Amino acid sequence: MEDKEFSHEESIRLINTMISKAKKSYVTKGIGPMVWGALIVFCSLFTWAQIQFHLLPDVDIWFLLIFALLPQIYFTIKEKRQRKFTAYEEVVTGYVWTAFAISIFLTSFYNSKYGTNESSTLVMILYGIPTFITGGMVKFKPLIIGGIACWIISAISIYTPVQTDMLLMALCGLVAWLIPGIILWNRYQKRKAEHGV
Amino acid sequence: MEFKDLDPILHSQLRLAVVSLLISVKEAEFTFIKEKTNATAGNLSVQLNKLKEVEYIEISKQFKDNYPQTLCKITPKGIDAFEKYVNALQSYMRP
Repeated sequence: MEDKEFSHEESIRLINTMISKAKKSYVTKGIGPMVWGALIVFCSLFTWAQIQFHLLPDVDIWFLLIFALLPQIYFTIKEKRQRKFTAYEEVVTGYVWTAFAISIFLTSFYNSKYGTNESSTLVMILYGIPTFITGGMVKFKPLIIGGIACWIISAISIYTPVQTDMLLMALCGLVAWLIPGIILWNRYQKRKAEHGV
Repeated sequence: MEFKDLDPILHSQLRLAVVSLLISVKEAEFTFIKEKTNATAGNLSVQLNKLKEVEYIEISKQFKDNYPQTLCKITPKGIDAFEKYVNALQSYMRP
C-alpha cells in the first residue's frame, strides 16, 4: 500500500476493508470451551450415575473443574502470546468470564456451607450468562443458542429431581460449550489449511 | 451545504488504513499492521511516526521472547480525529 491521496469513496471503502480485516483476525481455537464442556458433561454424568446406581465411590468429582482451570489458563496465555494484537472482545470476555468464575466459586461455597441440593438450577442460569454475552460479542450463533439453551434447561430443572438435573446439566455442557468448541476448532483448522491462519 | 475539511493527516491511504485498523483493536504489533496493510516496513515506519507526532497513536517498544516488539495503540485524540474524519466524509457523500 502506497502513501497517496484518494477519493472520498475510496476512503470509505478502505475504512470498511481495514475494520473487516481486523475483525476477521480475531480467531480462537475453541480449546477452552471444548475442555470445559467435556468436563461439565463428564462430571454431571458421573454425579448422575452416583445418585442413580449408588455404585460409584462417594467422591466430589466437581473438584476436577479446579484442575481444569490450569490448562485453561495455560492455553489462554499461549493463544494470547501467539496473537499479534489485542482485540477489544478479548478484554471484555476476560472480565465476563472472571465474573462468571467468581460467581460459580461463591455458589459452590454457599452450597458446601448450607448443603443445598437444589442449586443446579442456579448454576445453569449462571452458565447461560457468559455464554450468551460472549456469543453476542463475537457474533457466534452457537454460543448465543447455547446460552439461551442453558436458561431454558434451567427453567425445566426447577420441576425435576436432582438426578435428572445432572442429566440436564450435562446437556448444558454439551450445547453451551462442547459443541460450540468443536465448531470453533473445526473452523480454526479449516482456516489454518486455507490461509495458514 | 457546508463541506467540512478533511484532516490531511488521515486523508492519506496508508495512514487511514493504519488508523482504521487500530480503531478496531486495543493494540497491535508492527508486524500485524504491516501484514494487514501490505506496506513496506520502511514506509510504514515513516507513516507511524507521522501519526505519533500528531499524537493520534502511541508507540511502545518492548521485548517478547527475546525479540524486540513494537506495539501501536490509538489515542483518544486519534479516535476523535477519526470520528471527525468519518463525519466529514459522510457530509461529502450525502446527496
